Amino acid sequence: MASVSFDKLSKNYGTSQVVDGIDLDIADGEFLVLVGPSGSGKSTVLRMLAGLEAVTSGEIRIGGQRVNHLQPRQRDIAMVFQDYALYPHKTVRENLGFGLKVRGIPGDEAQRRIIDAADMLGIAQLLDRRPGQLSGGQRQRVAMGRAIVRRPQVFLFDEPLSNLDAKLRGQVRTEIKRLHQALGTTIIYVTHDQVEAMTLADRIVILRGGAIEQVGTPDQIYNTPANIFVGGFIGAPAMNFLPARIAGHVAHAADGLSFDLSQLGAIPQGDVVLGMRPEHIRAGSGAGIDFSGIVQVVEPLGADTLVHIGIGDATVTARLEPTQKPKPGQRVQLNIAPGHIHVFDAVTERAML
Amino acid sequence: MTAPHNPRFAWLTDPGDRGLAIMLLAPLALLVTLIVVYPVLRLFYTSLFDHSLTSGLPPRFVGLQNFGLMLDDPTFWTTLKNTLLITLVTVPGALIMGLAMALMANMPFKYHWPVRLSLLIPWALPLAFAGLIFAWFFHSEYGVVNDILRRFGFQPVIWFNSPGWSMTAICLTVIWKTSSFMALILLAGLQTIPRSLYEAADVDGAGKLRQFWEITLPLLRPAIAVALIFRTITALQTFDIPYTMTAGGPGGSTATLAMYIHQNTVSFLDLGYGSALAVVMFLLSMLVTVLYLRMIRARG
Ligand SMILES: Nc1ncnc2c1ncn2[C@@H]1O[C@H](COP(=O)(O)OP(=O)(O)OP(=O)(O)O)[C@@H](O)[C@H]1O
Ligand SMILES: [Mg+2]
Repeated sequence: MASVSFDKLSKNYGTSQVVDGIDLDIADGEFLVLVGPSGSGKSTVLRMLAGLEAVTSGEIRIGGQRVNHLQPRQRDIAMVFQDYALYPHKTVRENLGFGLKVRGIPGDEAQRRIIDAADMLGIAQLLDRRPGQLSGGQRQRVAMGRAIVRRPQVFLFDEPLSNLDAKLRGQVRTEIKRLHQALGTTIIYVTHDQVEAMTLADRIVILRGGAIEQVGTPDQIYNTPANIFVGGFIGAPAMNFLPARIAGHVAHAADGLSFDLSQLGAIPQGDVVLGMRPEHIRAGSGAGIDFSGIVQVVEPLGADTLVHIGIGDATVTARLEPTQKPKPGQRVQLNIAPGHIHVFDAVTERAML
Repeated sequence: MTAPHNPRFAWLTDPGDRGLAIMLLAPLALLVTLIVVYPVLRLFYTSLFDHSLTSGLPPRFVGLQNFGLMLDDPTFWTTLKNTLLITLVTVPGALIMGLAMALMANMPFKYHWPVRLSLLIPWALPLAFAGLIFAWFFHSEYGVVNDILRRFGFQPVIWFNSPGWSMTAICLTVIWKTSSFMALILLAGLQTIPRSLYEAADVDGAGKLRQFWEITLPLLRPAIAVALIFRTITALQTFDIPYTMTAGGPGGSTATLAMYIHQNTVSFLDLGYGSALAVVMFLLSMLVTVLYLRMIRARG
């Protein structure tokens, strides 16, 4: 097990910079999730760490040792690929054992590790099959097994669940978390699925355009997003944004809508964007900040009901109790606790509160 | 479904799975019959006759007599031996050369086209043309091969005076000419191997040589089998290159079975004996194909 650090890590393809000076320290045993939209450079960062892609500038250290110049096989990392990259002509046993064989781990030790990993992942009965005879979920487990038997310093996962159906994805996600608790090995995990990020991570790194937008625990990322991008990226349905202008202690949004912010501490002034998570908006008027709008669409989900409400030009989504069944066209009264209003600078898009 | 108006044509409008399969396959079956089955049957048929156009006599049925003659014909045995020798040398030779070329062409060059083009040129060249060019390369006085030998302080070789050196020159030429086709087939095979397998092997700790043995070669096996079938069959039919380089000389020592068939049918107009020789060549090709197919099936 080892810590990993990036120091001004950058990658260029020709003139386009796809990773832009990333600084990050990952603790020994940490589960770190890299998340971001497609093309944000997540895979590139992971592949540079694995040694599959050359570093343009900056430094990568594993366990304090600079590894920029090392071959993948010298870095003592294991990687689970998105397409699993299982050797199609080898049996599951041979797939698991390949990394051990080439590293000269003796046969009986290798067999023991293979059996252990296969038991842990529930694939012991598949050891003599070939990848072509396995289901997607089983292949995924074999790919993880191949990483586990190696007992590496660091595990790298590149969107390992994206080829599984929703139900299986949930299952394997839990297994990965359990695995991390059992092994305690440092894991760096790439995904664009925010649920995976929130559920798995000790810390989340949000990437956009090759640069870090925010680093923090799932709690921090959810409760105190550093900017509009992070606020909108994490959380489903996404955070609502309303442009507003604050004068004194009142924020004026479109349609004459105003929010009394006097319950907040220091109130910023000028043009802002207000952020409200759908799950923080409640029906009725009450203790918080009251506002109202016209119901446009109602989506009952069973556990709760999503209501899309028009406020001037803007649409706000609220996640309400399933008992709430407003009709489209109806005006509804809503409120939100002041502590749940995020205020972002309209120009820099950075959080002001 | 409405019932067909005329029950006699019911199979046309509603042929069923079996009927449909037959209807769809019929045109192809007809074509294959016309261009493959008929000529082969005709060949077998002719081989059972004493049919010489020079004798002026009508064809006479002689059963397997032509095949009996073959057993006592030293030229048949020499040409058969030469053909098998060329096959045994040039098939593995072209496979190894072709594999090396395919691996090179598959490397991440910035520009692929010069590499691919240089693969295509030997393949696109007519066989006889390659024979003529290489006859010059191996020319004892003006040839580039002897020139190189001299520069490196070796004795020049008079290539086409000795059976051994003539055969060497022919085999080298055949390998040069045919390895590019091998390379093209193998390159196509190489490109179907996902890059992530090599990355996984990199991370797993396997070096390049190990990756070649453990990943490239096993996954290339189907492409190799196809390439070998084609190459072996064309090797058994080797004609143009020895014909243009040595014309079978010196003293018939480099003549192939195909050249002997050509001689019997085209020069001697002995269609019966020529056909019998061709039947032997056909059976050899069939045998090779069956063996390779067995090999693929056993492994796969
Ligand atoms: N070999 C390459 N040559 C040129 N550009 C590349 C190359 N590989 C990746 N890129 C570019 O680098 C950027 C980052 O790619 P990367 O694969 O790291 O994104 P990602 O965050 O993993 O996206 P995704 O979620 O779609 O997997 C993209 O804009 C991509 O087009
Ligand atoms: Mg990616």
